[in-house]
Amino acid sequence: MSSPQEVLLRVPAVPEFLRVARITASGLASRVGFSLDEVDDLRLALDELCFTAIGRGLDNEELELRYSTSARTLSINGATLSAANGRPTVGEFSQQILTALVDEHRVWDDNGKNCFSLVKRSPAKPKNRTS
Amino acid sequence: MTFDGAQRIQLREKFVNFSNNRDDGDLRNELIEAHLGLAEYLARRFNNRGEPIDDLVQVASVGLLKAVDRFEPERGVEFSTYATHTIVGELKRHFRDKGWAVRAPRRLQELYLRLGKVIGVLGHELGRSPTVEELAKEAEVSEEDVLGALEAGQAYRFASLDAPALGDDDTDTVGSRFGGDDPGMVSAEHRASLSPLISELSEREQLILQLRFFEGLTQSEIAERLGISQMHVSRLLARSLAQLRQAASEN
Repeated sequence: MSSPQEVLLRVPAVPEFLRVARITASGLASRVGFSLDEVDDLRLALDELCFTAIGRGLDNEELELRYSTSARTLSINGATLSAANGRPTVGEFSQQILTALVDEHRVWDDNGKNCFSLVKRSPAKPKNRTS
Repeated sequence: MTFDGAQRIQLREKFVNFSNNRDDGDLRNELIEAHLGLAEYLARRFNNRGEPIDDLVQVASVGLLKAVDRFEPERGVEFSTYATHTIVGELKRHFRDKGWAVRAPRRLQELYLRLGKVIGVLGHELGRSPTVEELAKEAEVSEEDVLGALEAGQAYRFASLDAPALGDDDTDTVGSRFGGDDPGMVSAEHRASLSPLISELSEREQLILQLRFFEGLTQSEIAERLGISQMHVSRLLARSLAQLRQAASEN
């Protein structure tokens, strides 16, 4: 599973659907061997970034998430689909949280579309139990 | 919900009167008001499931209205018995339609509780946080079930964050875990950027935020240090962040 693989997900841009985004993320993360701690970190980071993109929800808007996996790495790119959503901002605390949770993250505005990306890597695990 | 004998007889008569004249609005109100306590009592039994109590009382009251309107005293059933069924039915329907926290299949809820123990045991054996695959193998379930259960256990929702999650054992406090030492509250410099939002969180939640985000401990390490499960740390973190987000968006 070393060549990158991609999953594309498009959901209504409201908090209720972030669960689907999280489940997809944790499913893929476990596929590439993340530990529970890492899966949880990923979910929190994804939540945080999605909320920066959609706030408390955007009417008639969709959020597109592109997940790509490669060896021990999961990257997620997110973007709202239509323009004119205003600029996503990451506060000081969010910044701190994201830095602690994932290896890379970025939030930007692409002609009015709220975009973000994150990368999380999972270091190789010590050998499994001998049993 | 207790009425003395005389009241009960009076109410029974009123129900008979009402069943003969369903248009008597005053009588209807009186009967409803006499049983609001029952509605509230039943609503409280569904508390701590992620729905605000006010909403639950509202839902229970709707159930009570239905019960009053449909009750047929000649069938010989006590109104309180009949109303309890109707009200509980209404509350359950509410959760079924709305609250995914409760809607999570019982199987997954139970698995979630079981996984909590497995994570602890396995984590100790491995000396690190187990992977989902290892966890699934140990618990003898599929990886999908593990992921589903973890998500179910953490079904915090944007709108209501104050409800303790499933299986929460929030009774011990940070204070009880630490001696007279630095209680490890979020350090002053960080607190400045976050306050007053963060001060709304419990002391323990503040401590967990500090350890995870400012001192870089993993969830497992925090769990170890506080003597609680990794799952509990996970849940508290998710809840704290959601709460901060909510508070920030309201400001």
